[in-house]
Amino acid sequence: MNGTQKVPVTILTGFLGSGKTTLLNKILSEEHGKRIAVIENEYGEVGIDQGLVINADEEVFEMSNGCICCTVRGDLIRVLGNLMKRRDKFDYVLVETTGLADPGPVAQTFFMDDEIRSEFSLDGIVTLVDAAHIDQQLGRSDESSEQVAFADVLVLNKTDLVSDESLDTLEARLRDMNRMARVVRSKQADVSVETVLNLGAFDLDQVLERRPSFLEPEYPFEWTGVFQLEPGRYEVSLEEGPDPMMSLVVVADQGTDEESLNEGAESCVRLYAEPAELLHPGDKIPLNKHVNLQLQSDGSKSFSLEVEKSGHLGLFTQHTAEEFDIKVRRMDTSVTESGSTQQNDLLIPPIAERTWVAQHEHDDEVGSIAIERNGNVDPEKLNAWLSRLLSEKGVDIFRMKGFISFAGEPRRIVFQGVHMLFTSQPDREWGNEPRRNQLVFIGRNLDEEALQSGFDKCLT
Amino acid sequence: MPDIRELGPQGRGMLHEGWSTEVADYVIVCGWALEGNAFLVGDAAGGLYAFEGKSGTTLWHRKEVHEGGLLAMSIHPDGDIFATAGQDGRVLIWKSKEGESNKALELGKGWVEHLQWSPDGQFLAAVFSQYVYVFGADGEEHWRSDKHPSTVSAIAWSKSNELATACYGRVTFYDVIRDQVNQKLEWQGSLVSMVLSPDGDIVACGSQDNTVHFWRRSTEKDLEMSGYPGKPCHLAFDHTGTLLATGGSERVTVWSFQGNGPEGTVPGELDLHIGAISSLTFSKRGSLLASGSRDGSVFVWLLQKNGHGEPLGGAFVGGRIEAIAWRPDDCGLAAVNANGGINVWDFKNRIKTSPKGFS
Repeated sequence: MNGTQKVPVTILTGFLGSGKTTLLNKILSEEHGKRIAVIENEYGEVGIDQGLVINADEEVFEMSNGCICCTVRGDLIRVLGNLMKRRDKFDYVLVETTGLADPGPVAQTFFMDDEIRSEFSLDGIVTLVDAAHIDQQLGRSDESSEQVAFADVLVLNKTDLVSDESLDTLEARLRDMNRMARVVRSKQADVSVETVLNLGAFDLDQVLERRPSFLEPEYPFEWTGVFQLEPGRYEVSLEEGPDPMMSLVVVADQGTDEESLNEGAESCVRLYAEPAELLHPGDKIPLNKHVNLQLQSDGSKSFSLEVEKSGHLGLFTQHTAEEFDIKVRRMDTSVTESGSTQQNDLLIPPIAERTWVAQHEHDDEVGSIAIERNGNVDPEKLNAWLSRLLSEKGVDIFRMKGFISFAGEPRRIVFQGVHMLFTSQPDREWGNEPRRNQLVFIGRNLDEEALQSGFDKCLT
Repeated sequence: MPDIRELGPQGRGMLHEGWSTEVADYVIVCGWALEGNAFLVGDAAGGLYAFEGKSGTTLWHRKEVHEGGLLAMSIHPDGDIFATAGQDGRVLIWKSKEGESNKALELGKGWVEHLQWSPDGQFLAAVFSQYVYVFGADGEEHWRSDKHPSTVSAIAWSKSNELATACYGRVTFYDVIRDQVNQKLEWQGSLVSMVLSPDGDIVACGSQDNTVHFWRRSTEKDLEMSGYPGKPCHLAFDHTGTLLATGGSERVTVWSFQGNGPEGTVPGELDLHIGAISSLTFSKRGSLLASGSRDGSVFVWLLQKNGHGEPLGGAFVGGRIEAIAWRPDDCGLAAVNANGGINVWDFKNRIKTSPKGFS
């Protein structure tokens, strides 16, 4: 009503011992010029050094209608309701939750209560993850996977206690669960304050800036190499790599420009869906067929390739060429001008290369789905679809954000939601930018195809 | 909807400009003491002020009486003393005239959010998270409640020895002399405010899910009034217990308990404010309701027994109205707002001056 800036609120979640208090103290000491209020709920950890600390028991209030989306944190409404009255308002509010807290009601409080919504804005949810223990926690409790799913930033803490290899595995697992979040690694919660405060985390543009591949489709292959080959026999060699088996499709007439590569990728997805033929070292690789190369033996393995007419051959491989040091060499020596038979001279480099976002095994129930479409959507159809979707699946949809384009509306419409609640508002003008739509869902057991076809029906 | 600005900053109609002043921070509590001769005000930063009732001259001023901020104030029924509480976990008892505190009660680390003197002035109830403490006027702890299932959100005395508490999911009536629970009314919902009818039979609670829930103690029957677009945390009963005024939107919704009501009746709707209702107070006698809004407007309404009513006057002061207090003689009205503004009007009831010349 008075047009004053809303006070940003950051929620810090994570299990006991994940380093929340250490991070809190770091923020307070680095941002000492600002008025920061800390609403702390966890006792027994290290004390908070400075700033205004308000202790409040986590009070999760369910409503008589039984709707989980109406569930709010009564303590936050009370405390924030009083804090907003000060004339020298706070610059920032940090809410620390216990490890057992469901982040849903905390986030919903900023949507559900009109007075809180008018004075505060949820800037972001930061989840601290104890790298040494999260694997077990994720298996044991719903809270920990929900804390990962709700996060805008995942701080992978205590990295010094874990090997680099298992950190990579863990990071891949967390990214699978929440593709929206930024992952930062730290030893003693020593991340820079900018990575956790003033995120404007609900701004999808920023998410895309940080992770440009976020909305790219996933493919069952990670690498494509295009080779200019004359008729003849060739050898495809692979060194020892991370897997005893690798999938491959070789296609004829593969173009080298971006559009042809994308088209090739799309048609290869269909070939990859067919059952693979198992090939052993020395076997011939057929064209336009899904094959599995058996790579169990030690040392270098090679497979043969016959080319009947000259052209561009595309290799779509499950892993990158680098991982297996994949090489293509000419096998017959008849065309060499010098008459040399040295194999090194016959090595053929690719004329084009492309890496793809690899599809992962989605082991966890919690995952994220992105939809990107060009064009405009019909507001009424979108509203009807979203209302039905959220009323049926809202319990399983933890977070949603994105922007869409309505015909006749010069501005982008930005969305964000928590469970069944969502808000939308006009954002910046489109200008000359082509109209497009992006939506991201994070939730449990989401049906990607149903979401995409549902959205497609809203397009005009 | 009329533009309330047209009424002018001083107001017209039945509200005649008295005095106005400003304090340093958001005013959150106010009340009349010393039989209307002093007006007491507390702000969010913990500043405490007393103004002379008629002129508005500052009688005394105390700074930062509660570290972190002041949260509650209750004036003793005789008006000579009052109590304040705040974020420092303390309750202070003050002399209204001198502005001196002679008692400080330490409840612990946490907020003391609600305070209420009993109707006979014998006890002072204070809420400390999930507990309610009852002190004698001398500051001695007289009684302490058992632990509530959640933080106590409201308290009200139904009799001089019976205290009602509201929290998530229930209202409890305690006999603070016999130390026993007289009645427990349960309902799954977050009760954020509570008022009792003057005879103590009706308990009305504003709820987080945009409803007003009420019980009749005699029958333990409950009923829910829904359809509010916002949270109806502001509630007021008139002195007869017939009318219950509720906020929850920019309209004041008035339920009438006459006859078999309010079940099956249509409430009165008082519709002049532009912003959501932020304060409701009935006069001590008669059925005059004062309403304040987040838009900074104040209106006075004359209500009928069926809940419908007419505006008698209004004013626009600019900041969200946080509290309104009728002077003990009902002939003055004070409103305090979020900008630190204090406005006091003389209230003249025009009904007594019947029109002349037409008979």
